[in-house]
Amino acid sequence: MKNSTIKKDPLEIIGRAKGHSYREIIDKLPRHCKFSPYLIDQVKNIPEVILRNSGTPFAKKINRMMREVTTEAYRAKQFTRTEINNRGVLFGVVLLKHKVLDSVLNYFHERWPQCIICLYNEYSCKTGVINEKGTIQEIDAPLKSVVEKVSKNRPVIPYFDDIQFSGKEIFETLYKSQFISERENKSYFKRMIPDKCFELPGMRHGVEKRFRNKRINEFL
Amino acid sequence: MPSVLEKIRVLGENSKYDICASTASSRTDKYPKLFGDSKNWIGTTASAGICHSYTPDGRCMSLFKTLYTNKCIYNCKYCFSHNCKKKLSFTPEEYARTFMKLYSMNVVEGVFISSGVCGSADDTTEEMLEAIKLLRFKYNFQGYVHFKCLPGVSQYLLKEAISLSDRISINTEASTKDYLAEIAEQKDFKNDIIMRQRWLKEIRIKHNDETLKVIKDLKQDAQLKYQEKMIKDRRNNGYKKFRWDGAPILNSGQTTQFVVGAAENESDYDLLKRIDWGYKEVDLRRAYFSSFIPIEGTPLACKQAAPLAREHRLYQSDWLLRIYHYKLKDLKEILIEDDNLPIGDPKIHLARLYFKDHGLVDPNQASYSDLLRVPGIGPISAKRIINLRSKKFKFRRRQDLKSVGVVLKRAEPYLLINGKNQTTLQNFIYQDNNSAPQEEMI
Repeated sequence: MKNSTIKKDPLEIIGRAKGHSYREIIDKLPRHCKFSPYLIDQVKNIPEVILRNSGTPFAKKINRMMREVTTEAYRAKQFTRTEINNRGVLFGVVLLKHKVLDSVLNYFHERWPQCIICLYNEYSCKTGVINEKGTIQEIDAPLKSVVEKVSKNRPVIPYFDDIQFSGKEIFETLYKSQFISERENKSYFKRMIPDKCFELPGMRHGVEKRFRNKRINEFL
Repeated sequence: MPSVLEKIRVLGENSKYDICASTASSRTDKYPKLFGDSKNWIGTTASAGICHSYTPDGRCMSLFKTLYTNKCIYNCKYCFSHNCKKKLSFTPEEYARTFMKLYSMNVVEGVFISSGVCGSADDTTEEMLEAIKLLRFKYNFQGYVHFKCLPGVSQYLLKEAISLSDRISINTEASTKDYLAEIAEQKDFKNDIIMRQRWLKEIRIKHNDETLKVIKDLKQDAQLKYQEKMIKDRRNNGYKKFRWDGAPILNSGQTTQFVVGAAENESDYDLLKRIDWGYKEVDLRRAYFSSFIPIEGTPLACKQAAPLAREHRLYQSDWLLRIYHYKLKDLKEILIEDDNLPIGDPKIHLARLYFKDHGLVDPNQASYSDLLRVPGIGPISAKRIINLRSKKFKFRRRQDLKSVGVVLKRAEPYLLINGKNQTTLQNFIYQDNNSAPQEEMI
């Protein structure tokens, strides 16, 4: 009887938007900082329908953990500000609580396949490095020394040498130029950039933090 | 000599009313690339929708959006650069370098290049193309490029622009010749705009046919050799034959933009009619609307600004035409005086009208098109309902519908779930009279 009701439930359809499948959970949950193998055992005992629908407090907890992992990776991709030196080494600082550094590194590797990418994780105080072949390494050293070490044996690449100037001011100018005061929409702005994002290293003292020379928290 | 910063400040401000979506490229690995996947490419278009920065009005700023030059022979009444006293231009090298710097900082996702018409449309377009060529071939940038075509540009330049960009757009600005003449009298609606839109369609179709034929004719081994040769020849005229990276199509198609409310008496129906024509005749991918905002110093400075809600309603209606495949005559039925859209969601207005005649919808029996007409049910949830029904599932609870993605708050007034309709105030009014007409209850 129990099985038949589960089979009939609409939540079982393939392609449902809500929740995560078993496979996704098994794949991504170990990335959470508070993961324990015991959780996976428990997950396997719960029907997928309940998991997807946050049917029990445990399922709710699993969904929350999954959400934390995916949003952290997504935000790191969006808001990490990077620099590139003339030897094709792209570097930046991230603050990743969960184990998603590899997915962030891979994202940048796809964009800059001929570059070495170094991301310093402020949380673990380690630097993640991905080379041209896509091999990932985690080094227990500060970003500066890793970048120097990696750059040493690489030749100067002319088109990276071309863009060795400060871009911060350029971005600030471009950013300010795009604002249409007539379309001012404070609530939309607040919704688009949650406070959590400002804790990310790339966003500290960034221009996006301000709205007409006021800090966003003044509006919240 | 003005600095790059000054140019960005002025030209960025001049382009802020141009609208573009964030990296809307559908370029994927689905199509074979004649030139192969080189390791030298920089950038991707795979992560569409990633927004790196938001402007204070809440819009995502994911593209490097500035004019190439604000020098312009046209004297459009609504235009920002009309009033701008500082006339500046980028050089191709400056433009490409600045963009690459911003891309390396991970603050922008692609390029949106537009311009005033300095001298002639062809001269300016050639310079703009030079900047894009530098990006593609010097800096090896393979990310998203949105190229804005200038009115009256030659066909050979359009061809080149297609081969270098992901998306091309020509601003229509107004729905008809007369309305355009009212706000931009120097532009020729038929020749400068409509003819160019038709050319874009023709070039694209011809381009696709030719490339697909080449791909089909080549065997696997021959294709690899061909790729190698083409990579070598790429910097010489090789890319002109096909897309710059060898992909067979211009992925993101062509778009257009309208200034809403600038021309006197231009109605929403006029605009919708023009968009509908665009979808049918010139393979328009989508249309953008920009509410008219009066700018000091321009001839239309005293004119009232168009409400942003009007722009929003036009987007909603455009969505109905494009995604839900409503017909223009359906939308015509809900228009109010002056052929404008009524206040509120057009889909709700349409549903009120439609279900008045057709009765409430039973999700266990309704057709796909009927389901699609219910507010709160989109193409995905309608497909899910049909899919579930084919597996002999019956929708008996509200939760069943909620679980397939239906927005019950909007959908309930039009649904008959397990034989029951949502209780509304009307039910109490007609409680003594059970024979109250169903349409009134809606």
